[in-house]
Amino acid sequence: MTTADALAAPPRGAQQGDSLALGRARRRRSDNLRGWLYCAPFLLAFGIFLIWPTIYGLWMSFTGTSLAGTNTEFVGLANWREALGDPQVWTSLANTAWFTVLSTIPLVVVAMVLAVLVNIGLPGQWFWRLSFFMPFLLASTVVSQFWNWMYNPQLGLINTFLGWFGITGPAWLQDPSTAMIAVVVTTVWWTIGFNFLLYLAALQNIPDQLYEAASLDGAGSWRKFRAITLPQLLPTTVLVLVLQMLASLKVFDQIYQMTGGGPGGETRPVLLYIYEVGFTGYRLGYASAISYIFFFLIIIVSIAYMVISSRRSVKA
Amino acid sequence: MSAATPTATTLSPAVPSVKSPALSTAGRRRRKTTPARIVAFVILAVLALAWLIPVLWAVLTSFKTEAEAAAMPVSIIPDSGFTLKAYLNVLTEGLVPRWAWNSLLTSTLVTVITVAISALAGYALSRLKFAGRQMIITLIVASIMIPGQILIVPLFNLMLSLNLVDTYWGIILPQVVAAPMVFILKKFFDQIPFELEEAALMDGASRLRIFWSIVLPLSRPILGAVAIFVFIGAWNNFLWPFIVVNDASLMTLPTGLQTVISAYGIQYAQNMAQAVLAALPLIVVFMFFQRQIIKGVATTGIAGT
Amino acid sequence: MQGAGALGALGGLGALSGCAGTAARAADDIAFWHLLSGPDGVTMGEMLDGYMATEGAASVKQTVLAWGAPYYTKLAMASAGGRAPDLAVMHAARVPGYAPGGLLDEWDIDLLGEFGILQEDFPELIWDKMVVDGKLTDIALDSHPFVLYYNTEIAEAAGVLGSDGLLMPTDNPEDFRAMALELGAKAPSGYGLSFGYLGDGSNQWRMFSTYYTQLGGTIELPVGKKMVYQEELVIEAAEWILSLIDDEVGNPGHDGGTAISEFATGGSGAFYGGVWESGNYRNQGVPFDMTMIPGVFGEPVAYADSHSFVLPHQMDPDPERRRNVHEVVAYLLKNSITWAGAGHIPAYSPVIEDPAYADLVPQSHYADAVDHLVYDPPAWFSGSGSDFHTYFGNDMQNVWARRTEPLEGWNAFVARINALLLKPTPM
Repeated sequence: MTTADALAAPPRGAQQGDSLALGRARRRRSDNLRGWLYCAPFLLAFGIFLIWPTIYGLWMSFTGTSLAGTNTEFVGLANWREALGDPQVWTSLANTAWFTVLSTIPLVVVAMVLAVLVNIGLPGQWFWRLSFFMPFLLASTVVSQFWNWMYNPQLGLINTFLGWFGITGPAWLQDPSTAMIAVVVTTVWWTIGFNFLLYLAALQNIPDQLYEAASLDGAGSWRKFRAITLPQLLPTTVLVLVLQMLASLKVFDQIYQMTGGGPGGETRPVLLYIYEVGFTGYRLGYASAISYIFFFLIIIVSIAYMVISSRRSVKA
Repeated sequence: MSAATPTATTLSPAVPSVKSPALSTAGRRRRKTTPARIVAFVILAVLALAWLIPVLWAVLTSFKTEAEAAAMPVSIIPDSGFTLKAYLNVLTEGLVPRWAWNSLLTSTLVTVITVAISALAGYALSRLKFAGRQMIITLIVASIMIPGQILIVPLFNLMLSLNLVDTYWGIILPQVVAAPMVFILKKFFDQIPFELEEAALMDGASRLRIFWSIVLPLSRPILGAVAIFVFIGAWNNFLWPFIVVNDASLMTLPTGLQTVISAYGIQYAQNMAQAVLAALPLIVVFMFFQRQIIKGVATTGIAGT
Repeated sequence: MQGAGALGALGGLGALSGCAGTAARAADDIAFWHLLSGPDGVTMGEMLDGYMATEGAASVKQTVLAWGAPYYTKLAMASAGGRAPDLAVMHAARVPGYAPGGLLDEWDIDLLGEFGILQEDFPELIWDKMVVDGKLTDIALDSHPFVLYYNTEIAEAAGVLGSDGLLMPTDNPEDFRAMALELGAKAPSGYGLSFGYLGDGSNQWRMFSTYYTQLGGTIELPVGKKMVYQEELVIEAAEWILSLIDDEVGNPGHDGGTAISEFATGGSGAFYGGVWESGNYRNQGVPFDMTMIPGVFGEPVAYADSHSFVLPHQMDPDPERRRNVHEVVAYLLKNSITWAGAGHIPAYSPVIEDPAYADLVPQSHYADAVDHLVYDPPAWFSGSGSDFHTYFGNDMQNVWARRTEPLEGWNAFVARINALLLKPTPM
């Protein structure tokens, strides 16, 4: 922002005269009005559809509001107390965390591997990017339909393939021991393109001179990778890691579509539980309380990231 | 100060942003074929195949007859040959064309409105030193931390009282609030030298005119990037349209596909045909605009996630 | 109360969007939602085609949503939004939890009379369920009990058919088990009975509710208090069910799909399921008949629910369209002999009393079930595909899979239901 301020107030010689200074003062006054006017459309939408629901949701968490609009009276901390003592809240939070761990690791590591391999400059660049990035452009529903079909116990390609080797594959999405893994595999397939792209961009921003200098020193490919590529990718890795964690914590679509949270709640993330409590169970007030507990956890993750990243920039 | 700060460097027109990957690889020196490169090529080819198989399998199924799609043992190439029947059924009987239209309409409106209001606000925050500016910036940056998903409950209740449940506007309006995009655009405008505008101001041009005829043309790349990112997000958005729309004729492609089922039992080939049709528009667009899309997603995506 | 003042700016917008969707449709264009897929969906489609072929008929567009929670969630949200479909199907057991919230509109009894549908056309028991808080809230189309299917060829080979060609009656657990074992001895899979429960709370509940009630058990769900039940009967029922999936009489690890395919391919002797599966089996060509679940502990009581027509709440319904909706429902009731073809027992008495119904086989073999039905205990969270069923499945699945003791699973279930009972009814 410092650069912006410097540019916005361009240095001018005093010899330009008082008339200009006067004009600028007048302009500043009208800027007040104009500034708010230009921001107004955005601020209106921002206020109504983001700020207001955030506040109103907090209020709802202290009421018994139902889907039919009844029971809007204040119930104090009852919803919060219930949520903190509701084992389903904790198992769904635990499922969310577990999903985040299981999905984030491959989504960072595999994305980096893919980007490094593609960045070698092998022929077929267009094709590699298409293959790995394209799934990211698909709607969750499409992805779920594709993978439900892959995982189909009798008719799916995966169990058909296993069958060729005499292996009877499980009912991937219905079996408690495989359902979460199956959802994670789908998620990795679907969203890796984004991280892949960030890594690719970062790789291409590493100056060639670094590698050339290393070559002169007689470093092999592996040493160059360890000594140059990995450290240069560190900022991107931190960024990708955090973005991925925040994205994985908000998982809903593919789990709702593929397992519905089952079998027996094994894959149900907290957003799905909020949906079930609020819309399937009609209890909007209680669902709001759970939403806010989740919100606070996300804020903690975000703050942790900020602390880490600011510490890093101080060092740098 | 903000979670979005790291992006700023990638965005400015002055600092080299994400280099166009296609260009930069072309610029690289050709290397000799070494055993290591052959191994890398094979690994990459296997991985790419693994990534394409789910799509190919779905496409293959969509060209089978229903009987063949559900036949055991599973055949890769059906005995009875391929057929377009599933596609014909989907296009003539179901609501898929209607959903595609709804998706196009709502995504386009979301994109246009988002870009318009974000650019205007971003410009004001970048150029006009008005009272309250800093407060607005702080508010916008802080709001990036609010995960929109947790707002589904109060937002649905709000839509009830605004009478917007089961309407197009109900789908569109909550999606036009994109605080990160305002921030990205402001950062971009910050980097445009002020001298250009200063001259026009001295000539008595109005702010709005300067914005329209000087700033916006200079910002075409970033506007394109923001538009692409917003459009993809809106086109593929599931959760919000799923919450706010119950009427099948107002659903978008992703929600319709998930919610409405066939009265005539599970029809695998038709399901796959629907999914392939829903995937097709963005994939075709991607094939034509690969470079722009990759750049747009990489530049804006970081802050937009 | 939502700070409408601050939002006043959007007033115009609301008006603008009013044009989209439901409001714009003509009075003879009816949106009809239901959760009937497979053979049921085909039958409903045929009946609607029949209606639309009549003189001056409105056009009915059906939208089919996935059975259970997804359907009821969408229906409730649409009703809350005031732009709901014109007509919908609900399970009768879910109506009491739904109607008091104002999500359903009332049927016009005079208008129905105009189209020839009268109160006396329904059995008293069913009519009572149709009236909630003194208002005619749902119109029952059928009742669909849980029944016993049996493979007639296997049964004949096992010698368990009577001289009338029907399964020999059994009235105590020992005889029933002996019969199941004899069926199993002649069945290719070696199992006399198929029962699918994995991942399907509703089916577990249907089975449990059937035998628990036969044992004389009752369940009450009083709001603000604790669930009332008889513990020793719960254990007895659970142990009886376990004895049927003991790997001797029946496969211990079936889900709905595998149980159905076991019976459909002629693998097992008998199958526990809802009447709605009969269409599937007929299509598959397996030789089968159906019977009420034998009353091995007393009366042959069986779990049931009803498909009912409801008017989801609309903010300002078009009277002309409402009139057409009444006409559609009247037609469907009068022609519900077609619906009986899908296995359901019609609720509209004139159809049942018609000789044509007595000629339907196997439907007439379980028609007496209507006198021995047990519906879900009324509560805002019970009924087909409800949380009550889901929770039952969550906690009891481990019992059926022999990972926990019956009482342990049951107590976990009761604890969750008690927690729900302590909440104020959201509707």
